[in-house]
Amino acid sequence: MEETVPPSSSPIASLLPDELEAPPLSLGQLTWRRFRRHKMAIFGVVTLVFMVFYAFGGMLFFSEADANHTETGARLQPPSAEHPFGTDTIGRDILARTIYGGQISIMIGLTAMLVELFIGVSIGSLAGFFGGKVDSFLMRFTEAVLVIPQIFLLLVMAKYFAQSIPNIEMLGRTFSGSVVVIIFVIGITTWPYLARIVRSSFLSMKENDFVLAARATGASTRDIILRHILPNSIAPIIVAGTLSVAAAITLEAYISFLGMGVRPPTATWGNMLEGAYNYIDTAWWLWFFPGMLIALIVLAINFIGDGLRDALDPHSRAV
Amino acid sequence: MTRYIIRRLLQAIPLLFIISLIIFIMMQNMGDPVATMGGRRVTRSEDRIRLTRQLGLDKPVIVQYLYWLVGNDWAKTDMDGDGVAETPGKRKGVLRGDFGLSLVNRKPVTQVIGERLPNTLLLMLVAEAIIISVALLVGIYSALHQYTALDNVITTSTFIFYSMPVFFFALLAMYIFAVNFKAWGLPYLPTVGMFEPEAGKSASQVAWHMILPVATLSFGFIAGYSRYIRSTMLEAMGQDYIRTAKAKGLPRPQIVYIHALKNAALPIVTLIALDLPFLLGGAIVTERIFGWPGMGRLFLDHVDRSDTPVVMGILMMIAVAVIIFQIIADVLYAWLDPRIHYK
Amino acid sequence: MKNRRLFSFLVSLVVIAAFLAACTPAAPATEEPTAEPTAERKVATFIWTQEYDTLNPLYTNMWFVTVLYPIYTCQAWWFDDQNNPVPYLVTEIPSKDNGGISEDGRIITLKLRDDIQWSDATPITSADFKFTYDMVMADGNAVSSRAPFDLTESLETPDERTVVVTFTEPFAPWLARLFAGQSGAALLPAHILQPVFDENGTIDTAEWNKAPTVGCGPFVFQEWESGSFARFVVNENYWGPRPKIDELFFRFVPDDASQVAALKAGDGDVGTFFAMSDMPELEAAGVVIMKSLSGYNEGWYINQHPEKGNPALQDVRVRQALAYGFNRQKLVDDLLLGRAAVPATDWDNTSWEDPSIEPYTYDPEKAKALLEEAGWVDSNGDGVREKDGVDLVLKYGTTNREVRQDTQAVAQQELAEVGIKLELLSFDSDIFFASYAEDGPSANFSLDIIEYSDSPDAPDPNSVVWRCAEIPSDENPAGVNPTGFCDEEFEALWAKQETQVDVAERQQTFHQITKMIFEKAFWIGLWQDPDYFGFSSRIINVKMSGATPFFNVVEWDIAQ
Repeated sequence: MEETVPPSSSPIASLLPDELEAPPLSLGQLTWRRFRRHKMAIFGVVTLVFMVFYAFGGMLFFSEADANHTETGARLQPPSAEHPFGTDTIGRDILARTIYGGQISIMIGLTAMLVELFIGVSIGSLAGFFGGKVDSFLMRFTEAVLVIPQIFLLLVMAKYFAQSIPNIEMLGRTFSGSVVVIIFVIGITTWPYLARIVRSSFLSMKENDFVLAARATGASTRDIILRHILPNSIAPIIVAGTLSVAAAITLEAYISFLGMGVRPPTATWGNMLEGAYNYIDTAWWLWFFPGMLIALIVLAINFIGDGLRDALDPHSRAV
Repeated sequence: MTRYIIRRLLQAIPLLFIISLIIFIMMQNMGDPVATMGGRRVTRSEDRIRLTRQLGLDKPVIVQYLYWLVGNDWAKTDMDGDGVAETPGKRKGVLRGDFGLSLVNRKPVTQVIGERLPNTLLLMLVAEAIIISVALLVGIYSALHQYTALDNVITTSTFIFYSMPVFFFALLAMYIFAVNFKAWGLPYLPTVGMFEPEAGKSASQVAWHMILPVATLSFGFIAGYSRYIRSTMLEAMGQDYIRTAKAKGLPRPQIVYIHALKNAALPIVTLIALDLPFLLGGAIVTERIFGWPGMGRLFLDHVDRSDTPVVMGILMMIAVAVIIFQIIADVLYAWLDPRIHYK
Repeated sequence: MKNRRLFSFLVSLVVIAAFLAACTPAAPATEEPTAEPTAERKVATFIWTQEYDTLNPLYTNMWFVTVLYPIYTCQAWWFDDQNNPVPYLVTEIPSKDNGGISEDGRIITLKLRDDIQWSDATPITSADFKFTYDMVMADGNAVSSRAPFDLTESLETPDERTVVVTFTEPFAPWLARLFAGQSGAALLPAHILQPVFDENGTIDTAEWNKAPTVGCGPFVFQEWESGSFARFVVNENYWGPRPKIDELFFRFVPDDASQVAALKAGDGDVGTFFAMSDMPELEAAGVVIMKSLSGYNEGWYINQHPEKGNPALQDVRVRQALAYGFNRQKLVDDLLLGRAAVPATDWDNTSWEDPSIEPYTYDPEKAKALLEEAGWVDSNGDGVREKDGVDLVLKYGTTNREVRQDTQAVAQQELAEVGIKLELLSFDSDIFFASYAEDGPSANFSLDIIEYSDSPDAPDPNSVVWRCAEIPSDENPAGVNPTGFCDEEFEALWAKQETQVDVAERQQTFHQITKMIFEKAFWIGLWQDPDYFGFSSRIINVKMSGATPFFNVVEWDIAQ
């Protein structure tokens, strides 16, 4: 009978074959363990959860009508019991606006990241896998986009697409079409960074044995890329993707600050800062709260990204 | 190595063409430069038609691009509006060094940019110098004193600064050092322009006015670089050759600065060269906030007026500079690290 | 060894940077603070939020340049604080009585003074007028506007002191535009620019455009440092009374906030174009706010294009409901701190408006009644009225200025209460005002309500935006009529007033025009938009004109 009851006397005998090794941990579990040890990353997660709850859960306390309700007689009031964050230039409650603005900002960050991910991974994987002329052509194209500093490209593109999309009605709420424009513009100006990372990962992976084996068994190119190589290079993609959410939120804030971002009355944290600059000393609450929220969420995401990078691949020194 | 450089330069040429074409096409949909001509009222229709013709904006986009590239002195333009082209054009085109005239004030584009370029360069060079020196200091100190209280403070604050948008930092800095200092009667920092006009453009004036803009431009980079230097220094200090050096009894400064730093700082050199586009981008927001008369502000003002020649001029100049700096970065890296070899 | 190279590279960077900072950048030598005490030299500092694009009057439309005409250029006459013409280069204002205007009203004769001269002591003659005229009409010059010269047959100079302008049709608005006003031409020096034109075939690129060192105004240009400042000093050869101030200094700042800060701190003496909400702070700091009635009014132009407009707006009752349903007085009181009034038409406060007109009051009940009467009922209880299955949704567009976006949000809320849904859109101004050819939203009739600020050709009441010929279309892509309204009777009135040189007759025609615009609610006024200038208490003797604000700059003085 192979009962696994350890005899209590000898220490070596107590090490039964099944227990010589701890059961192997999956990548996810390993990552989580290493991540857990990163105190700042945990702080980042907590902060991020709090902020998501603030933006989306806040809907339960404030309706959108509250966020858009103008009251010109009560304009520019400092923070008070009735308006904890004060009111803006036409008497709208800033707390409610940061809640609804946060939803848009976070959504822009996530969606822009997805656009960037899609384009960047596609181009990077094709370039890295096929090499040769395909690689050369795609890399020249990538460089072309990289050579222009991002802000310049963003401004030019934001102005170019400015009026192309009408207002959107979704879930009973109206969003300015410029939200889609901004997502698109951010996505197509940030993918080169990701494409380069994916490409170098593919370049080093494609010589590996498992790829050779897959080819020998007749797997199609698409299969090799999607089911074999990509899952193994997922680590830098995850890290880059996480950090790009923060970058997208920051970029949205920049363009809005320069006046070409999401059009009011749709609120985002970025465009709440747009006009607030003129009130720097008279109405500090106009710029302080949205600015703090942006800085906080970007900080949280950066912490998480840093933690993920250490957890997924402790040896990487990605720049 | 020379062959490598030449090859890169040659590869850059079609790149520049593609970029210029794409941007030029995008500029066409960016608003009508003759809509108000900077005024408060819409331009009269007769003037609109005439100006569109005189400024060459009535031609198809490809033709306009062609004129921009190779000039129009080989073609005839219709100056008097009778539909018949009879006057030869005067532009030589970018390939012969003529970037055209600004649509806003009819000044040559090279002159418009040239007036503002030195101001931005000044800001950027000083900022870069400060970034390098401070980041090195902070990074090395942090690495050598890992896990001390000060190191933790530094790490946390670098994260915070790294995450803060540039203009938020600028607003905070302005609020504290300019508005509030003044309110409290302390000597306060100026927030507008490059110098006080009554006092003239002296070195001390410019330096005093540069403090806030340079600080704004550099803080994010200092945060990022110091973290990077810290981690590479830590990695370098853990290497075997450092242990050997310690075992040999070499003095600590020699170990740190000559052996470890040399290896840790190599990638920084290329990073700096590649950061040029980011600095320029940061300059836009900074110059706008502080009214610094540089190229970033020029870009914003002329994009606002849909002034294609000037915008194209600025972007092409930046593109060329970035490409050259990329090549310099690669060459520098190879020169400093004998292990790297380009074919 | 390698490390030394790296180290020295870094050190040299720092040294270079420090060296650059220590050495003055290549600019010309500094303007040393003068040795003379400031009590001797009077300098007025202007804080401008937009930098000049060019200083040649023919090439610029920028308000920040055109208000400076009385400072460094000369025109035939200025307009004083009552908007009456004051002769400047001419001996008297032309009229039928003194023979300045011919019987049929087509020929205007200008008689020039004897003592006028340029700042380099060259006399100003009729040749300069002819030269300016030629430059405006020359094909090689991309001037910003050819008006009113493109309506003339000729400009002759029978002798050095006489200029005869012949219009093809009697042109009633000549007083506001013929070598006068901010949209009229100012004089160009023939002796400086003629050689430039002869050599290049154009004066587009002349040096004089950015450095008009030879001028004919009380002050003459001295320098302009791009992005920073510009300076005008007293014209020593000025033919008129010597100005009391020695120098006008213009400082370019990036935005309103810095302008207001500079004015409050006393760093600047004159500022303009600030938001109404800044005014209490400025006044508290001792800045005197002066109003220049330039004729601008902010309002809603209602799209009534027969094919492309929203059919709901073809009904006058719906348009009136917009006026009754939006509390514009409260908007003005709150957002503009009560400093402006709600205008009834673009010609408020002038003799051109029919005196019986009073602005629509805020009466939401009346608005609802009008809408019901027009057949718009909210049958499904969603808060938006509909008729024949179509919801009453109007697209409302304007530019990015903060006060306009604030107005949009408030209007949306108030009109929702009477059952009208507004969809808000805002655009960059270069995109908004782009022509029909470029698909500009204010020209392609895609918006139902278009908000911006416009004025007639002040001080003349003429306006081209109401003409049938100005409706943008495929055949006429550069048109500027935003309402798309064309009606025979209305057009006939406009055509008539343009030729009526007799003021009383013209007023009658305008009374009819304004009444029609008001009663049929083609245009709904939001607020009057005069220009405000802030003057520090140091500057005295300032009088403001509507058409040419700085007309009495020679009299300004600095109180000690």
